[in-house]
Amino acid sequence: MSAPATGPLRRFWRVLGRQRRWMLLGVLVSLISTLAGIALMAIAGHFIASMALAGATGAVLNYYTPAALIRAMALLRTGGRYVERLVNHEATLRVLSRLRLWLFDRLLPLAPARTGFLGHADLFSRLRADVDRLEHAYLGIGIPIVVALLALPLVLAVQAAYAWPVALLTLIAATAAAVLLPRWLIVRSRAPAEAMVRDEAALRAAVGDLVRGAAELRLYGADAARETRIHVLTDEQQARLAHLDALQERGQSLIPLLAQTVAAGTLLLGAAAARAHTLAGPDVVMLVLLGLAAFEVLAVLPEAFTRWGATRAAAARVFELVDAEPAVEDPAAPAEPPAKPDIAFRGVRLRYAEDAPWALDGVDLALPFGSRVAVTGASGAGKSSLAAALLRFQPFESGRIVWGGRSITEYAADDVRAAIAVVEQRTHLFDATLIENLRVARPDATRAQIEAAVHAAQLSDVVAALPDGYDTWLGEGGAHLSGGEARRVAIARALLADRPILLLDEPTEGLDAATAQSLMGALATLAEGRTVLLITHRLEGLSHLVDRRVRMERGRIVAEEAMAASSAVLRSGRSSTLH
Amino acid sequence: MSRMNMHRSRSRMTHADMDEPPAARAKASDAASVKADVASVANDWLTQQQGGVRRWLLSAMGLGAAGTVLLCVQAGLLAWALNAMLLQNANVRDVLPAAAGFVLLALVRAACAVQARRFGFEAGRRVVADVRKRVLEAFRARGPAWLARQSSADLITRTVDGVDALAPYYARYLPQKAAAVLLPLIVLVAAFPADWVAGLVMLVTAPLVPLFMVLLGGVAERASQRRWVTLLRLGNQFFDSLQGLVTLRLFGAGARRRVLLAERSEAYRRETMSVLRVAFLSSLVLEFFAMVSIAVVAVLVGFRLMWGDVAFTHGMFVLLLAPEFFLPLRALGALRHARMDAVSAAGDLAALLTRVPPGHAPVSTPSPAVDAPMHPPCIELEDVRFEYAPGRAGLDGVTLHLAAGSTTVVVGASGSGKSSLLQLLMGFHAPSRGTVRVDGHALDAFDAQAWCARIAWLPQRPHLFVGTLRDNVRLARPDADDMALERAARAAGLDAVLRDLPQGWATPLGEHGYGLSGGQAQRVALARAWLRDAPLLLLDEPTQHLDEASAHAVQQAIAELRRGRTVVQVAHRLDAARTADQVVVMAAGRVIEAGTPAQLLADRGAFFRLLQNEEAA
Repeated sequence: MSAPATGPLRRFWRVLGRQRRWMLLGVLVSLISTLAGIALMAIAGHFIASMALAGATGAVLNYYTPAALIRAMALLRTGGRYVERLVNHEATLRVLSRLRLWLFDRLLPLAPARTGFLGHADLFSRLRADVDRLEHAYLGIGIPIVVALLALPLVLAVQAAYAWPVALLTLIAATAAAVLLPRWLIVRSRAPAEAMVRDEAALRAAVGDLVRGAAELRLYGADAARETRIHVLTDEQQARLAHLDALQERGQSLIPLLAQTVAAGTLLLGAAAARAHTLAGPDVVMLVLLGLAAFEVLAVLPEAFTRWGATRAAAARVFELVDAEPAVEDPAAPAEPPAKPDIAFRGVRLRYAEDAPWALDGVDLALPFGSRVAVTGASGAGKSSLAAALLRFQPFESGRIVWGGRSITEYAADDVRAAIAVVEQRTHLFDATLIENLRVARPDATRAQIEAAVHAAQLSDVVAALPDGYDTWLGEGGAHLSGGEARRVAIARALLADRPILLLDEPTEGLDAATAQSLMGALATLAEGRTVLLITHRLEGLSHLVDRRVRMERGRIVAEEAMAASSAVLRSGRSSTLH
Repeated sequence: MSRMNMHRSRSRMTHADMDEPPAARAKASDAASVKADVASVANDWLTQQQGGVRRWLLSAMGLGAAGTVLLCVQAGLLAWALNAMLLQNANVRDVLPAAAGFVLLALVRAACAVQARRFGFEAGRRVVADVRKRVLEAFRARGPAWLARQSSADLITRTVDGVDALAPYYARYLPQKAAAVLLPLIVLVAAFPADWVAGLVMLVTAPLVPLFMVLLGGVAERASQRRWVTLLRLGNQFFDSLQGLVTLRLFGAGARRRVLLAERSEAYRRETMSVLRVAFLSSLVLEFFAMVSIAVVAVLVGFRLMWGDVAFTHGMFVLLLAPEFFLPLRALGALRHARMDAVSAAGDLAALLTRVPPGHAPVSTPSPAVDAPMHPPCIELEDVRFEYAPGRAGLDGVTLHLAAGSTTVVVGASGSGKSSLLQLLMGFHAPSRGTVRVDGHALDAFDAQAWCARIAWLPQRPHLFVGTLRDNVRLARPDADDMALERAARAAGLDAVLRDLPQGWATPLGEHGYGLSGGQAQRVALARAWLRDAPLLLLDEPTQHLDEASAHAVQQAIAELRRGRTVVQVAHRLDAARTADQVVVMAAGRVIEAGTPAQLLADRGAFFRLLQNEEAA
């Protein structure tokens, strides 16, 4: 697909919707205050030249009007700048809010099948940087470029009204400053800018290796070499930055140079015209100052244009992420799901890409309501795919998942998920208070319900020890809770959500044996009266939660056995091994 | 809002000392004073870093001043030429030299600006290189054990982005700050002789420059910094929500979250705008004085010209200089973000670089007295204690005898000191009391690196470095040839993994490389251990995160590896303990039981109870 040159930015512009009005208002106010600033210098020059002439020749002069104009322009400029800053901040904040909500709306239906990048530190920080860039596009690119493009023709028109050669001279210089120079800058800085992005990624990876692999490096005596490598990468990065910085500064210092050349040229043209009496002396002074002041508008252009390419690339990347199709589409007329469904997998096959191996390769598994099943197997055996298929996060290609007598595809995916409580291996704790984190599961939960769930999850002691109890801020990613505590929050959430089906995804993974052991009571409470699907690579310590165990290998169920469980009625004791 | 700030400053304070438990961290002292303290520490630290680059900063400032002097000369030339044109009816030939000189000076000024920026950049570059070097040195001094307790993402951000954020402060903010004071003075000195009245107008407004420096650097900056922190927090909340998308979908909470996000950003916008309406007044006043001084100069000069009190050349000269008077100060405002970024980064870096806690740095002996042993060592610990933070002991009074060639299994709950023991043996910690002896020599008599070379270590999650599979295995012995690599791979069971990889030994691993499974990664670590062929083998629950089949395979490969070496194995499953020569049970940093498995079973003590628990589960 060959998008037009401004494709991503144009789309970005459309995304902004109603907030565009604020942006246009911002441009208008900026333009007014800019023009007032230019006019101030031009009129001032004209005024003192006229006054000097009047003083020399004794001519009578109306000095009230220009003096008043000068004061008016000064005030307009001052007030304009104030209003301009307010309006532009308002617009920026509105753009920011609009952009983020838009992104949230677009990404929500894509999670988790199409949002793998969110779990990848590198890609995630790039997304952050991209969004940041788009948020600043208005102030950093939009305003300077649009104001320059609008102000310049007005200045040229005034110049042309007095002396067209001056306008022509300015036009040539302005074209060089506003068009040729930025283009040259973009072309020259593209390669180093891209290389710099690579440098930075390499630097980040090298520091990551040094930090995460510190023990290995120390043992193998390789830490000094790694540090040296980081210093070399730093030097390369800085050399590249120096190159870019020098380019930018060269571009930026060319603009005043052009402005002053235009001023000198205007002086010469003006001197000739004044001697020929085609132009009055004060007008020449005015034109010289007008040109000088007008170029200040152009001074910000090189930076704006260097940002242009980066912003465009950022927009393209963001659109690429959000343009993914949701993995699972809802049916046109979704059925009403039953309250306590029997579930059965029948020959379910699933894969993540056309050419990928089957992640589920004909899975048959019956989960009548109230049954408790553990699915074990090595990583890559298909356990997570089984959960993803049931949660409708991933579509399956063939076979059926029967849910209360109908195919699961006849329901809306949200309705299916509404029947399943999941204790995730890495449940996300939001950067919010504990109670807000619990209410994610159930916004209308009463205090009593929350306390009951916290008690059942054996979290009461933890809450009591927190400085502000339920109102304790948990910090980013639940930084203030330990792994075991975070897992208890996940259990409390599942209890609060109170759903007929419980999906436990490696509920004790990453916890030490003692902590895992202490979670058992809470998990057993949670499992009561529900269908339980337990996913784990190791059943040890969890076996009493289930009464049946299946083992997966290469996307198939290869063994099934009933278990004697402490909390479940002992079934017939039959143990059938299919393998 | 105050809580948000508290939270932030607190977390910044404690980043460098994550050793405290969450509850203790949360009960930090009065947040407001802590915050002020952090800001002044950051500022002091930033000032300290100037020392090494003062030369470059002064050069940049000097060129900036030179540029302003040239500007004054230009203004004089232009004023003279306009005067000639206006009042002396000069022809083009008469003003041509002035115009040419004007353009020539413009060229020199541009060159000055480019060079000044280059000097400034050099200052920034040097600070970045120097600070990053010191950060890495601090990492090394604090050691792998400390690093393992930190959030690696946070450390990477501080080392890469945090240090990078310093550059613009030195490269641009500081030179501009000097310019904001120096350049108006130069302009004033030039303007005064030309027209004392206009000079007086500037002089009256001149004290406003430092006044506004204080105002902008004080009230307005604090307001702006607070907004910036809130904005940052708002951003964090948004991206936090993105990371929790799956959780939101699982609980059907997406729509609610969206409402929350919309409300928060709307509330932020309202609040910010009401603050800004006042905050921008200070820059309004600055702008007002800048514009009014131009207007007043123009009007005053105009009338004095008409009355013949002043020559046109002088009047024009002053008018041309008037806008330049306030320009540097306004340019400084545009760079305030550079300063804020640097201050925020400096707070973190100062904590990291200045507060190296004791007991972390294993000092390598200048002259190693003894060669590290090539044979399986005999290790004795006597009353060993070490603290990884003041008052927080990792090990306390540990006495142990590890016979040459024996296998010792260490069991105990997490936090009981098992991993600390291994780290101590690896030399990542120096004991604060007691001695560690190897074959009768104190451990610190060995060269730290030579001692490390005698150790093979299998961690829970081996780190795979960015690079090829070959690089990753060869890390253990950079001079190993392909034969040795193949042998190690076979012994470690890595050959089976290799067969499944299309690129074989050249398969890229690490962050963007091929993702090996836990079992495969463990085989890479095993291959490293084989290649290293060290007499002391340390096993830190290498099968903890593996599924049963992989765990079994790795276990078998380890059985082969342990032959003829002194082995210390940390285990949480006790089946490993039954075949050990010695079992050590640890709790709260102390050894509570040690002996042969048979002895301990007979004693019916802690080990016996642990075994019983495990069987019951």
